[in-house]
Amino acid sequence: MKLVIDERRCKGCNICTMVCPYRIFREGDRLNDRGVVVPRLDRPERCTNCRLQGLYGRRLCGVCQMICPDQAIRWEEEKPYEPHRVVIEF
Amino acid sequence: MSADDWFRTDRLPHIYCTGCGNGTIINCTLEAVDAMGWNKNDTVFISGIGCSSRAPGYIVTDSLHTTHGRALAFATGVKLANPRLHIVVFTGDGDLAAIGGNHFIHACRRNVDMTVVCMNNMIYGMTGGQGSPCTPVGALSTTTPYGMGEPVFDLAELAVTAGANYVARWTSYHVTELTRAIQTGLETPGFSFIEAMVQCPTAYGRRNKLRQVSDMITYLKTHALLMQKKKRMEEEGEPIPPEMFAVGEFTRRSRPALGVPK
Ligand SMILES: Cc1ncc(C[n+]2csc(CCOP(=O)(O)OP(=O)(O)O)c2C)c(N)n1
Ligand code: SF4
Ligand code: SF4
Repeated sequence: MKLVIDERRCKGCNICTMVCPYRIFREGDRLNDRGVVVPRLDRPERCTNCRLQGLYGRRLCGVCQMICPDQAIRWEEEKPYEPHRVVIEF
Repeated sequence: MSADDWFRTDRLPHIYCTGCGNGTIINCTLEAVDAMGWNKNDTVFISGIGCSSRAPGYIVTDSLHTTHGRALAFATGVKLANPRLHIVVFTGDGDLAAIGGNHFIHACRRNVDMTVVCMNNMIYGMTGGQGSPCTPVGALSTTTPYGMGEPVFDLAELAVTAGANYVARWTSYHVTELTRAIQTGLETPGFSFIEAMVQCPTAYGRRNKLRQVSDMITYLKTHALLMQKKKRMEEEGEPIPPEMFAVGEFTRRSRPALGVPK
């Protein structure tokens, strides 16, 4: 699974940068064509949901998706599946 | 199915300001409604007037966007006319506690079978930031330029006293707990009241030195006092800071309810 921010919905409030336990969401630095600074994703393949959603068959963590007031965060199916090498620091 | 299927995606993005917490509460409510496995044809979302009350417009089911303060009156009518319908009410602090205060206490007293989610942003958001019954003491608003001098209406305690079957309060930061509380409310027969404290960076934060969305979230996080901790502090005789609000489950009981299908 792949973590994506829908640029047509995001309003750039940066609430997602406050909640992710891996700090995947980082404040962005570039205006998009709607005049919004969308957060940038720092190595999104570290997200628990990207790695394990398929295995568990349900959404794990998902706190960014729940708290995003603009329904802009979702996970997309990757086809064909691309395995990532993931380094997780604690 | 997932919570996403309940949104009218053609209407998104919604009109709420950047960082407004109302969107988060819609997410949590739809997540809970989805977990109940309800049919879209048997679920009705009802609201009054205000930013918070625009929520049903973004949901695919039948809905009623009624007059200011009267959401509960309409909801009672819908429930009694057809008790098989599942009723969820979205309302704001001004809508529920100021102009709609009387409907609120009597819906609690009658214990009508419905779930009310109040998005308490501590201000009248839609009309530009007038003080509401839930504006904290000392807070600035357009109608309290020298700071609010009246005490805050504790809506959760009011619902408990007036007779609701299930009452809980969380904030837009506590998404998991809030979703669980809403689901418990949906499962409980009788009147369930869930108060969700939300940030309004535009009308409240801007005037109260909480201009950044992150400041408002931090405010909610640091001013929420867990129910268990509050009880412990009371037992030990420790003073509870007046600016803090309790979060958690206030009551869960089974008084006789109105409108529960036989
Ligand atoms: C009978 C009536 N009186 C006053 C108004 C003006 N009015 C519209 S929204 C609103 C306040 C809503 O505040 P709240 O319920 O807290 O919702 P919020 O916008 O903060 O989410 C008021 C007073 C109205 N629409 N109808
Ligand atoms: S929480 Fe949602 S709307 Fe806000 S910056 Fe993140 S993706 Fe964008
Ligand atoms: S005025 Fe406040 S409550 Fe209304 S949409 Fe803006 S932030 Fe939300």
